[in-house]
Amino acid sequence: MVLAGLAACASQNGDDVSDASTTIHDPIAPLLESARLIVCCGPGGVGKTTTAAALGLRGVLMGRKVIVLTIDPAKRLANSLGLSELSNTPQQIDLRENLEQVPDSLGDGEFWAMMLDQKKTLDDLVRKYAPDPGALERAENNNIYRLLSSTLHGMQEYMALDKLHDLYTGGYFDLVVLDTPPTKNALEFLETPSRAKTFFDERIIKWFLPNRRAGFFGRVLDPGSIVLKLLGRIFGETFVTELTEFFETLEFLQQALQSRGEMIDYIMRDQQTHFFVITSADPRRMKEALFFHEKLAELGQRAEAFIINRVIPPFNPDDLQKVDADAIAGLAKNAQGLDSIDRAQFDALRKDLASTYKMLARLAVRDQDAIEDLSKKLGAGALRRVPLLGQDVHSIEQLVSLSEFLTPSKPVYA
Amino acid sequence: MTDMLHDLLDKRLIFITGKGGVGKSTATAGLGLALARKGKRVLIVETDTYSAMADLFSLTLSDSNIEKVKQFDGLEVVNLYAEDALVHAIKQFVPSDRVARSVIGNRVARVFFKAAPSVNEFSILNMVRYYLDKTRGTRPYYDHVIVDLPASGHAVTFLNVPKTLNGMVRVGRFAQICQELADQIEDTRQTAILAVCLPEEMPVNETIELSEAIEENLERKLSMIMLNMVHERPFGQTHDEVFGALRKVTPAQKPEELANAGALSRVIQGNALALDWYERDLIYIDLLGQKTASPIIEIPMFYEKEGLRVIERVADFLCGEPGGGDTELAS
Repeated sequence: MVLAGLAACASQNGDDVSDASTTIHDPIAPLLESARLIVCCGPGGVGKTTTAAALGLRGVLMGRKVIVLTIDPAKRLANSLGLSELSNTPQQIDLRENLEQVPDSLGDGEFWAMMLDQKKTLDDLVRKYAPDPGALERAENNNIYRLLSSTLHGMQEYMALDKLHDLYTGGYFDLVVLDTPPTKNALEFLETPSRAKTFFDERIIKWFLPNRRAGFFGRVLDPGSIVLKLLGRIFGETFVTELTEFFETLEFLQQALQSRGEMIDYIMRDQQTHFFVITSADPRRMKEALFFHEKLAELGQRAEAFIINRVIPPFNPDDLQKVDADAIAGLAKNAQGLDSIDRAQFDALRKDLASTYKMLARLAVRDQDAIEDLSKKLGAGALRRVPLLGQDVHSIEQLVSLSEFLTPSKPVYA
Repeated sequence: MTDMLHDLLDKRLIFITGKGGVGKSTATAGLGLALARKGKRVLIVETDTYSAMADLFSLTLSDSNIEKVKQFDGLEVVNLYAEDALVHAIKQFVPSDRVARSVIGNRVARVFFKAAPSVNEFSILNMVRYYLDKTRGTRPYYDHVIVDLPASGHAVTFLNVPKTLNGMVRVGRFAQICQELADQIEDTRQTAILAVCLPEEMPVNETIELSEAIEENLERKLSMIMLNMVHERPFGQTHDEVFGALRKVTPAQKPEELANAGALSRVIQGNALALDWYERDLIYIDLLGQKTASPIIEIPMFYEKEGLRVIERVADFLCGEPGGGDTELAS
């Protein structure tokens, strides 16, 4: 696209052609080469799922077998990957079919994706761990289970961990990229099943299941009956019965998941597990990203890379002083078919271009300030910026282009 | 006044939902401010432990306390914790405050209530009704209560709770309240359900799904869609041909080249980006219009640095007033 003659024109227009920095700082590529698990967390609406997919793809283009696991209720990864639907089983995306030119580095790399269907996964879990074959049917007849099986607080994290456990220990995949939901409690799963979850709090379950209640306090204080009676009075007997059944259903799940807790804890603390925070440069999202950073630290983990997505290019308000109608007319000399354009139109165009640019530049400056703040807090080495692109990512080709920004030290097409 | 604002003037209860990152809180605050400017008293209810309103209006918002927004008259905000809403609900059902306190004071009971599914949703909706029923003399205390719902994936489940509970518990006071709440949610004359969306692929798809889910589960329609951050055309159509030709010969073509490119390259590519946004927006506005039957209100993109200023400009827009316009361009 760039023709030789343009260099001269560019300098006339005040383009200062300087060499790009020779050393590319790249916190991500080395991690992608060796990691077995990458956990992506961060606020919503910043392109997190797409970025997770691009990270996975980058691993694939290093010759690894990668699966991207997303647990977001919206079918976003499916959209990003141009797939109509992702099922609860891993699906392979054939890169040779999707890319015009397959890079040599692909080698034995394979790209897989999976979206967790929460309802189905919970059903699967009940079926898998149920003490008797009728358990799933009983659960499905429970109104509360039916209403809330897809939205239970904390459930999606558990279900994701169950899948993660299978994928991780299954031995087929070299790398699992886990995309967490954008909620504030997305990191609760790190607290491991043994410590977390009021939902699975054993006290509650025992208290609802009188036959399993044991011990001195259970017999003497019998809190269940008092509170149950009161609950019955407030909410009605039916509701309380349904709730009791519901907790009964989940009790064996609790035991099953707890038994996996240690293994998951071990996976999370493995040397080859890395945490990335993905955000945009918008100051409010940055604040949320810091929240994730602090939360990770509280849980004894560390975010090893901050990917700042959709960064507005470095538009500068001062540029407008250097660009007058003459400069535009000068550039027009290189373009075709603009010989008959008169000066007045260049003036009018310049005015329009300037008013849009002024506003864009303001956002760009705001983004840069926010990034600098973050860089002071975390160190510039951990940050990786991805520029804002004019188009959504909805093809593998576009995903490859995006992935280039994530690991600039390893260009896809060398 | 825009038609949108006009249609909302008689809706005492307004639910707002939308995918994360679409500017739901800004749109909620902007709508609240617009109604307040029309002389209405407005309460914005958040149900998240992480309050966006506290940030936007520099409030503390602790312990489910209602606070007045200092910057604007008639606007109040509360960040409602499910636990506090539950305490309120229990007080309604037990004979005395003493009993209520003993239930609430029971540690096991507290853990249970915190964890029990659908109790939280019920308590919050019950509390919202309490706000609506509050009076000053013979008039309602709040003309509008705006509830900032959880992200769209969970909004329908949330709003469906009273109906489901009512299906399970058929008699008694609790059943009656559930029935009333369910009726209120489905009543399109009094209650509006709004979705905030961006003209981008994923938010648009999610809004289409939401619209379908509301019709399927709540036997009503999504009242309207606030399409946020719609980009305006960067320059007049008369310049299209010239700009297109200039864009092709601009030395720097890629975003990553712009830092080291010249001023003219950046000005051209900035406008090219703005044109791409504008064109992309049109595609998704069209898609949204085809797949949903609800009115779509296009709120322009405001390039303000300060969150509070964006809220004011959204309110200006909804009120159909020019307001101060762009902060820096105006000055």
